[in-house]
Amino acid sequence: LTLTVDLCRGLPYASAVSTTMAPTALALLLLAPLSAAAAEGYWWTYPHADCGYCDVTDEYRDMGYNVSTLQDLCATTDGCYGFNTNGILKSSDCGVSCTIASESSCDLWVLRDTPQPTSPPVWPMPASYSSGDATVTLSTKLTWSGDVDSDDVADAISRYQDLMFPHAVSDSSAAAAEEDTVVVSEVVVSILEDDAAELQLYADESYTLVVPATDGGKIELSAPTQWGIMRGLETLSQLVLFDFDANAYTVDNSPWNIEDAPRFPHRQLMIDTARHYEPLSVIRQVIDACTFAKVNTIHWHLVDDQSFPFDSPSHPELAAKGAFSKYERYTDADVASIVEYARKRGVRVMVEVDTPGHASSWCAGAPEICPSSSCLSPLNPATNATFDLMADLFHDLTGGEKRLGLFPETLMHLGGDEVDTSCWGETPEIQAWMDDNGFTEDDAYLYYFNRVTEIAIAQGREVVGWDEIWENFGTSLDPTTIVAAWRTWAINSTDVTSKGYRMLYCPDSAWYLDSLDTTWEARYAEEPATGVAEEDEHLVLGGGGQMWGETADPSDVLPTIWPGMAAIAERLWSPRDVTDTVEAAPRLAGFRCLMESRGVPFAPITNLISRSAPSGPGSCTAQRRRHV
Amino acid sequence: VVSEVVVSILEDDAAELQLYADESYTLVVPATDGGKIELSAPTQWGIMRGLETLSQLVLFDFDANAYTVDNSPWNIEDAPRFPHRQLMIDTARHYEPLSVIRQVIDACTFAKVNTIHWHLVDDQSFPFDSPSHPELAAKGAFSKYERYTDADVASIVEYARKRGVRVMVEVDTPGHASSWCAGAPEICPSSSCLSPLNPATNATFDLMADLFHDLTGGEKRLGLFPETLMHLGGDEVDTSCWGETPEIQAWMDDNGFTEDDAYLYYFNRVTEIAIAQGREVVGWDEIWENFGTSLDPTTIVAAWRTWAINSTDVTSKGYRMLYCPDSAWYLDSLDTTWEARYAEEPATGVAEEDEHLVLGGGGQMWGETADPSDVLPTIWPGMAAIAERLWSPRDVTDTVEAAPRLAGFRCLMESRGVPFAPITNLISRSAPSGPGSCTAQRRRHV
Repeated sequence: LTLTVDLCRGLPYASAVSTTMAPTALALLLLAPLSAAAAEGYWWTYPHADCGYCDVTDEYRDMGYNVSTLQDLCATTDGCYGFNTNGILKSSDCGVSCTIASESSCDLWVLRDTPQPTSPPVWPMPASYSSGDATVTLSTKLTWSGDVDSDDVADAISRYQDLMFPHAVSDSSAAAAEEDTVVVSEVVVSILEDDAAELQLYADESYTLVVPATDGGKIELSAPTQWGIMRGLETLSQLVLFDFDANAYTVDNSPWNIEDAPRFPHRQLMIDTARHYEPLSVIRQVIDACTFAKVNTIHWHLVDDQSFPFDSPSHPELAAKGAFSKYERYTDADVASIVEYARKRGVRVMVEVDTPGHASSWCAGAPEICPSSSCLSPLNPATNATFDLMADLFHDLTGGEKRLGLFPETLMHLGGDEVDTSCWGETPEIQAWMDDNGFTEDDAYLYYFNRVTEIAIAQGREVVGWDEIWENFGTSLDPTTIVAAWRTWAINSTDVTSKGYRMLYCPDSAWYLDSLDTTWEARYAEEPATGVAEEDEHLVLGGGGQMWGETADPSDVLPTIWPGMAAIAERLWSPRDVTDTVEAAPRLAGFRCLMESRGVPFAPITNLISRSAPSGPGSCTAQRRRHV
Repeated sequence: VVSEVVVSILEDDAAELQLYADESYTLVVPATDGGKIELSAPTQWGIMRGLETLSQLVLFDFDANAYTVDNSPWNIEDAPRFPHRQLMIDTARHYEPLSVIRQVIDACTFAKVNTIHWHLVDDQSFPFDSPSHPELAAKGAFSKYERYTDADVASIVEYARKRGVRVMVEVDTPGHASSWCAGAPEICPSSSCLSPLNPATNATFDLMADLFHDLTGGEKRLGLFPETLMHLGGDEVDTSCWGETPEIQAWMDDNGFTEDDAYLYYFNRVTEIAIAQGREVVGWDEIWENFGTSLDPTTIVAAWRTWAINSTDVTSKGYRMLYCPDSAWYLDSLDTTWEARYAEEPATGVAEEDEHLVLGGGGQMWGETADPSDVLPTIWPGMAAIAERLWSPRDVTDTVEAAPRLAGFRCLMESRGVPFAPITNLISRSAPSGPGSCTAQRRRHV
């Protein structure tokens, strides 16, 4: 511990100053080397941010915010490519042992070789935007107008009104703040095409948002559908900051013109309610947080080996005997309430019923569909009892027809992963059935998957399956089948898409949120369309983060999801060329502060191990790289 | 089937929420068809406690698709053992947004914790936007956005009051106050020696009087914190800065003060300011160790160094105390099990006739490694063990009986969306060891 002085606050404090960087972390922090040409570079500023740059010296200089003096000083100091407004000079390269002596509540200035974009304080980055340099005061008595006949939109506006104005402001101080400033007090909302658009894959989520810089001007938010309005409300809410000194809500860098649309139509978070039960209140918190990052799909991994929490109306014995306890179950009405809660927020819910493997919890309630009492899984493909039960259960979920049922979502995930068929060969009845049909174990696996696929299709669904089905069956799969690629080292995206199949990108480790030693930068670096021909890119529907639940329960699931999911969300929403982690880092730190202000447990961003505690006192933006 | 609850407030349905408020209640759940649940209490606060109890009796039976109360009829007569059952939150080491503080308050009510002790400011940051001294937060907060307006504070206090939760503010001085110097350098010894605050200048006490007035409204029952108890800190005061600052040393010489005398002088002056504004003062136990019975007799001693402070001594001299033992009830003491927290007895060594002087105490959530991402699972389950110690009769100490009940409470809290860490992990807030029920509380090494 060393005593340093933070001139932002004028205070000395003790802080850990020496950080030994692991080589992998180090690589992520390295910038493109700036040589002597740096003198011709551009100064970039990162408000309240310290991106992990090493100090040139640990000396601070009492210059307050005198930026030009520090710029001159840096120019004449060997190895200096930046500084923060503590007066500490920064290096662009990091040694094996890196010293970072300042707290990050000061602004960081860094010399780079390209001009700085006017970054909107928005996560994920919009597709396109322009901005100005005016600060606009937003009246807390905001009027929402426009000819919109949609309860869903009215409810969304009501939610965002609360999210935008978290601090209480008295009428008199608001009036005082509005004197001599540019005040905007009306938002005009327009739905251009369909204010009751169905929430399905390919739903239009685009929107246009204009924030004027003229006194008395109106914010304009328009979109083809109500779902685009919701995405635009989120963006608007992220532009609004509370200025404590003025006691007013402001939008900096106005006027804003934002034209935005997602790159991929399917941006999911998978939740796993089989390894741990997640209560309804927790699932609602998860959904709320997703909408803040424009994640538009919950992939609900409903059941697995460990438990069967769904109270199937047709087969109540499955949950009665297969749930963890009497109280860790979901009624059909519970499921419907979650799906409706999500729909109101523009979030689809895709259910996964993972069979024939990952299904041993079914055997407690339905032993007749399991190979034997000693060999539970994969489910028995040799008896119609299995497929009859499956048809009943699917009917509980789908209502038997497209757009109906507990999950009106057209996509239905049937799992199909990690199927160890040895149980089938070891069970005499199943072996005999395979012999009768001339089936190998692999043939039986295909037979099984095709039969459950047919059931789902007959109930108006399109089937998603984990990539083992592609590896094993390839183009013998129904052509509407969507391949969820998790073993991205084994599955060739080029191959899948060039054969005309659609895919979801869910890479193990990189986008597995229970992979705790994966940094946000590593998640951010993934590219779903790698190796995919341009004309086939539309076949990559998107993908998302997988929150496998072995060590995630209500006590830690949210800080395990965030910040990792934020990196994934931006990859799935923003244009392909938005890949600069140096630009993204302070914006992500700002997003963390926003999420925290909305009550979302969002773990420190730069800890090398996910969901580990903050290393010490500091701002929500204090994102010092830290070992565990 | 029971389909009616009769609620009766027997004495005062607008009882003031202060220390010693009556929280007792009677709850009867009948076992006769068409019978009525009866919930009665002297005050509205007792009704709230009874509602919590009733809600914990109700279970959803998935097989019957119905809500049930097992083991009826129930006749519950309940009242807390201690009037002051607190959770301390620390918004100076990390800023906790309003939404997080509301979550913390909600969770407290589920365990019948009735007081938030708000450790508002400290060395690291000064997040409170004082109307009289806005420069304190403008310069002393972590960032432009990590601050509380006075209206924010009022909204939190009202949110808590609606739930029967008092909010006691702590303004910790003269130590733990270096964040004040950014906005008010005139009250600090020097730019190189920031803390403890300067006792030799009236500027210090003038500012303190203004700031206290922001918080108290200047009179009992008024202000942002209508709570009568006001915590003035007074802990970990290293006075060496005073001796090293020539002006302060000269002032001590003039007054014939040792550094300890100056510390007492300081604490007495801020105590007088608080008392003049209608408050009763709480201070950390160093003030007892240093000043003993020279403290104002209304002073309440918050005992955290329970190895150094003799409860017998404090109470036998007629002073009131709060029990907040370091480690055992420090929620950032991550290697303290719930059983260890549960085993603490606040009235240890206190004569029976003095037990009423032990007002209670509570858990301290020091914020060095707790921010919105982990504060709730750091508080729970530890705070649950403390809450039962403070509410339930003294002889409720059997951890074997309590363990499955606590596991059930965890499931309940989780179902209400409260991040409540696994109970039996040896290190607090560590992840569950593997798949399992919310009741699966296998002992696990890290």
